[in-house]
Amino acid sequence: MSTDYKFKKFLTRRYQLLASVLVLLAVGLVLLPKRIKNDGVSPELFVNNVLSDERFISSDDLADRMINKDPSMILVDVRSKNEFQKFTLPGAINVPLENFLNEETLPYLDQNIYDIVLFSNDNFFANEAWLIGNRLGFNNLYVLKGGLNDWFSTIFNPTVPPETANKEAFDLYDFRKAAALYFGIGVYEKESAPDVRNASPKPKKVTPAPKKKKAAPEGGC
Amino acid sequence: MGPLIPNGLIPIEWNFVISILIGFAFGYILEASGFSSSRKLVGVFYGYDFAVLKVFFTAAAVAVIGLYYMDYLNWLDISQLYIQPTYLWAAIAGGFIMGTGFLAGGYCPGTSLAGVAIGKIDAIAFTVGLMIGIFAFSELYEVLEPLFTASNLGNPTLADSFGISPYMLILGFSLCAIIAFYVSDKVRAKVKKVIY
Repeated sequence: MSTDYKFKKFLTRRYQLLASVLVLLAVGLVLLPKRIKNDGVSPELFVNNVLSDERFISSDDLADRMINKDPSMILVDVRSKNEFQKFTLPGAINVPLENFLNEETLPYLDQNIYDIVLFSNDNFFANEAWLIGNRLGFNNLYVLKGGLNDWFSTIFNPTVPPETANKEAFDLYDFRKAAALYFGIGVYEKESAPDVRNASPKPKKVTPAPKKKKAAPEGGC
Repeated sequence: MGPLIPNGLIPIEWNFVISILIGFAFGYILEASGFSSSRKLVGVFYGYDFAVLKVFFTAAAVAVIGLYYMDYLNWLDISQLYIQPTYLWAAIAGGFIMGTGFLAGGYCPGTSLAGVAIGKIDAIAFTVGLMIGIFAFSELYEVLEPLFTASNLGNPTLADSFGISPYMLILGFSLCAIIAFYVSDKVRAKVKKVIY
């Protein structure tokens, strides 16, 4: 038999051969030992996320967002119910760590719309909650850095910066005092009245006359 | 690892460039396999040419087997792939209209453009009709919207609906494909040959 003849014979059988390759590959898929796949994020990404500080939000930033009534944020208190009833941040919901993956609370945590800020007395429990959530691939989970302890020491009881501190430190201090007032704690410090005797006369305020807006043409087609 | 673009292995800006390149390749293969001829395409309905059935069945079988092997080898995460949502009534109505158009006009949307590219007059007429259809649909969208969005079943796959493992389903699909090829060859042998 010449090789030419063999090749022709092979060619007449090519469809059967290809079909059997297809079936063999499909059978292979069925017979291969199944590999267990873990849900959620990959280990490498998880380690990256854990090492990154991106999840932390400082109490100043949080206070700023609360004062501005940021509608895209949900505060989640992961402490126990007792502690939650004693004190919590305004507008926070209580999801104790043991209820973290309940059916009722999951819709709050596993979504793409709101930023979830987790907090506890310190970082610790909030971080645990964050770890669970991040491992399962939930987005937009944040942790209040330092927890409520830090909240107390920065917002409710800010330390006065030394007189040599720069302007930013004083601005921050003023912001914190104002924030404490906003949240119902702290007192107005009356600023001493300015000395009017030697004060130069106030420059006359010039208010620019508002330009008249051209009225839009009415009617038409 | 994969899919490459959602996992950032290829920057998302390349999306359109890659789509265009794949589009060129797809159009070329369509033309090269004779799918720019409406007579060849509708042959599957009259039983004298089953190239359409064979090509698309083979493509689906090869793709699904390849994807699941890649998933097995961890080159690709199959759960990250996009699954077209199922709108039951829209799919039924769309399938009916598409089938009628395919049978009457002799082209499906992609192949009609391949036909236009080589200057087939029937393909040009078909494409004009296609554009009129798109225009009419867009204009009537508010009327058609209830049908268009009715009974959204989410993103079910066949494996979900039947409740069997996807691997068994793939095996069944491959066997179905081979049976279909065999039967179509038998039918073709019986039907009178059409020269086109």
